[in-house]
Amino acid sequence: MNRIMRYLRKSLSARLSLWVVCFATLVFMVTLGIMFVQSRKAVRQEAFSGAEQVLDNTVQRVQSILNRVEMAADQTAWLVARHLRTPDSMYVYSRHILVNNPDLNGCSIAFEPYHYPEKGKYFSAFSLNEDGKISTTQEGNPTYEYFYMDWYQLPKLLDRPCWTEPFADYNPAGIYSKEMIASYCQPIRDKEGNYIGTLSVDISLNWLSETISAVKPYPHSYSIMTGLGGTFFVHPDSTKLFYQTIFTETLEHPDPARTRLGHAMQRCEAGRQQLKINGEKCYVFYKPLGDTGWSAAIVCPESDIFAGLNRLQRGILLVLLLGILLMLFVCSRIVSREMKPLQQLTRQIEIISAGHLDKKLPDNGRIDELGRLYQSFSGMQQSLVNYIDEMKQTTAAKAAIENELKVASDIQMSMVPRIFPAFPNRQDIDLYASMTPAKEVGGDLYDYFVQNEKLYFCVGDVSGKGVPASLFMAVTRNLFRIFAQQGHSPESIATGINRFLSQDNNQLMFVTMFIGQLDLQTGHMDFCNCGHNPPVIVTPGEPARFMPVKYANQPLGIMEGMPFQGESLEQTRGSLFLFYTDGLNEAENPDHDQFGDDAILEMMTQLSQLPSDLVIAQLKAAVEKHRNGAAPNDDLTLVALRLL
Amino acid sequence: MNRNLHFLFLLGSLLLLPAISQAQKIIFTPQWTPQAQFAGYYVAQDKGFYREAGLDVDIVHPSASQSALSRIARNESHATTLMLPQAMEIIDNGIQLVNILQTSMNSGLVIVSRKNEDPLKQKGMRVGAWSVGFDQLPLSMSIKENLGYQWIRFVSGINLLLSGAIDATVAMSYNEYYQLVQAGMELTDTNVYRFCDHGYNVQEDGVYVTREYYEKNRDKAIKFAEASRRGWEWAAEHPEETLDIVMEYVREYRVDTNRTLQKLMLDEILRLQLDRESGQREFRLRPDMVTLMNQLMIENQMLINEVKYEDLIAL
Repeated sequence: MNRIMRYLRKSLSARLSLWVVCFATLVFMVTLGIMFVQSRKAVRQEAFSGAEQVLDNTVQRVQSILNRVEMAADQTAWLVARHLRTPDSMYVYSRHILVNNPDLNGCSIAFEPYHYPEKGKYFSAFSLNEDGKISTTQEGNPTYEYFYMDWYQLPKLLDRPCWTEPFADYNPAGIYSKEMIASYCQPIRDKEGNYIGTLSVDISLNWLSETISAVKPYPHSYSIMTGLGGTFFVHPDSTKLFYQTIFTETLEHPDPARTRLGHAMQRCEAGRQQLKINGEKCYVFYKPLGDTGWSAAIVCPESDIFAGLNRLQRGILLVLLLGILLMLFVCSRIVSREMKPLQQLTRQIEIISAGHLDKKLPDNGRIDELGRLYQSFSGMQQSLVNYIDEMKQTTAAKAAIENELKVASDIQMSMVPRIFPAFPNRQDIDLYASMTPAKEVGGDLYDYFVQNEKLYFCVGDVSGKGVPASLFMAVTRNLFRIFAQQGHSPESIATGINRFLSQDNNQLMFVTMFIGQLDLQTGHMDFCNCGHNPPVIVTPGEPARFMPVKYANQPLGIMEGMPFQGESLEQTRGSLFLFYTDGLNEAENPDHDQFGDDAILEMMTQLSQLPSDLVIAQLKAAVEKHRNGAAPNDDLTLVALRLL
Repeated sequence: MNRNLHFLFLLGSLLLLPAISQAQKIIFTPQWTPQAQFAGYYVAQDKGFYREAGLDVDIVHPSASQSALSRIARNESHATTLMLPQAMEIIDNGIQLVNILQTSMNSGLVIVSRKNEDPLKQKGMRVGAWSVGFDQLPLSMSIKENLGYQWIRFVSGINLLLSGAIDATVAMSYNEYYQLVQAGMELTDTNVYRFCDHGYNVQEDGVYVTREYYEKNRDKAIKFAEASRRGWEWAAEHPEETLDIVMEYVREYRVDTNRTLQKLMLDEILRLQLDRESGQREFRLRPDMVTLMNQLMIENQMLINEVKYEDLIAL
């Protein structure tokens, strides 16, 4: 099973074939189901009509014979009534009826006890036909008191002619034989209409048994006949004859359907009843046999009624099964054939995907969906090849640029002092700086140097980022060095740099810059802030604060000839200064929340006791943590300075 | 009239009984064709209880041409079964009988109405009764209850009732009752009148021999009674096997019956053998029931003289 499922999962054509066949099977089954149900109804109806017709014919045949018996008895009764005064003539009449009706077994013309005083208590003229030999006797005697017999009493009590229940005749030895006899009896009345006796004609019902038994519309169907008490008088199981009634089995195993059937037959109704006989579903068609009180029935097993239909159904189902298998095979082959180009394409794609992009797809010459798929894939393959070629070139070009940028980055980084401690020979300067470009090269800059016991330093931020900014930064840094080394004050340095940067500044680039000159002997600091972020100052024992700056000045490079005003701070020794670019306070996390001034002040307060390199390291770590994986949004430059 | 004729036959037969003469031979004739009503005797025969008692018993059933009475009349049987009222009538007619084994402790007589109505409320209706008798109790009851039934005598069977020729019939709860049920009739507490439930509970079947025979063959008669009793006790303990034995007799005589009916009959017969008060199978004639039957029959001129309990039993 697992293998089949695995195969189905792997094979589109198998799945397609299976779906088609499953759907077709479903359609067939529904169609056939409807057809079978309708056929079943039709067959059942046909069977009902057929069985009822057969039963009707049988009953009519039986009825005609019984009518003949009744007519013969009626004629004799007429004669008897006319000759009541001559009792011995009864012997003649009882014999006469047998002579004229050889199929009759016997005839009794019996009278009430002592009706004819001269005849005594018993007078019953009885003729018996034994194989054509007719004997006539007076049958009443103390051991056979006929007037207690059913045949005698029934017409007397019912006051009308009637048939007795069939009974088993006795043979001469007094042992029960099983010749079924029934008597048609009618009352004999005198001229005043008083009942005086009974005329009874006996007829063997073996012919009736044979007639009814012969009714066999289906191979396993059979006929039964029951009497007033439901006793079986015709039944294929001879052990039930006379011994059992239609109700017998219900005494120990109640069966409402059978009981209903029995009562319906007893009421001399015609109809049909479905019930189970010996566990098999059967239909029983029943009809009364004239006015006898007996009922004939045909028992038809349902399996017989539907045998032909069932055979047809089995045949159709077998053909359907074979058809489905054939359809599955053919469908599988067709789908497989139609899917072959797809399989080929799949193989080609596997080869191509293995890296053989130049593998040419063969033209399968189809114009259908598969053909278009082939063409589309071929086009896609070509586009892919082209794209990969372009990618290769672009990647190579990019690699070259990146290489150049790396070189530029190295050059840029080499332009700022990166050796720490910055002044290993001096114990009074604790300075550490860091510059991290957001791209390969950045627009930030810092610089410092000691000249004549003065520390010149600057931190700047060029507008924009990348290569243009880096070039501008390089120029600015060189200008700072040139003017600072000439011993100018910070505002003079700013004025000098501004003049140069402003000239031919077509790109309208500018740079914010904090330029400082710290007297290492006195701790006096001159500075000029050219539009830059105010530095943070941490005086020992106090919280960090932004350095008060009176003159913000304009950034450098905007306009030539603008004046720059410097400021000074008298006592700086022992205080920690942080010069930075806006890559610090404006550092953003993925939600674009900035690091912020408050965080800078808080951190600086906490870090005030640490050496400058650790201060820078902690700040960078805090920024990195704040970014939380976000790419740097700007260059970050930090310079920590403490004069000891 | 008819009844008296039967007595004459019986009288003749009983007088001739000594003619059957073989030391331990007993010919036993139940009063009807083979059925579970006589299961105990079949068991005693088949299981060898009679043989073990040193008896050579022949069970000979009556037939259409040889009724139980006619067999007796022909001096062909030593013992027979009789209902208590029957036996009392015979004794009243001057033939001394001895009840050597009483099997029934209750009356199984019922009146079944065709309509689902109480038979006691259908005054003047046609009621079937057997032409051969067993009618002492129904007659007594109908007279006492002033029902004015029109009695229709018939030989046997249930056809008169089924055809509607009669309105009700006297039946035995173990025989015709179940035949009617088997014929699809719905029998209820309403349309079935049980004599035993209305102060007419009188014992029925017992085994009888003539007192003369008893005097001469006391040992044999006692042995026969004991072995028969043993047969009934075994039947009560082994109803299914008993039924098998009954059915063998039924088949041999080709009786129009079936195992289901015989099973129901056996169950009912065995139930009727249990004394209502003790719940036991007592196998004894109850003096109170003899007294009751005497009272009913004398009231209705069925007996000339009282047949006392002592007249029925072996002294």
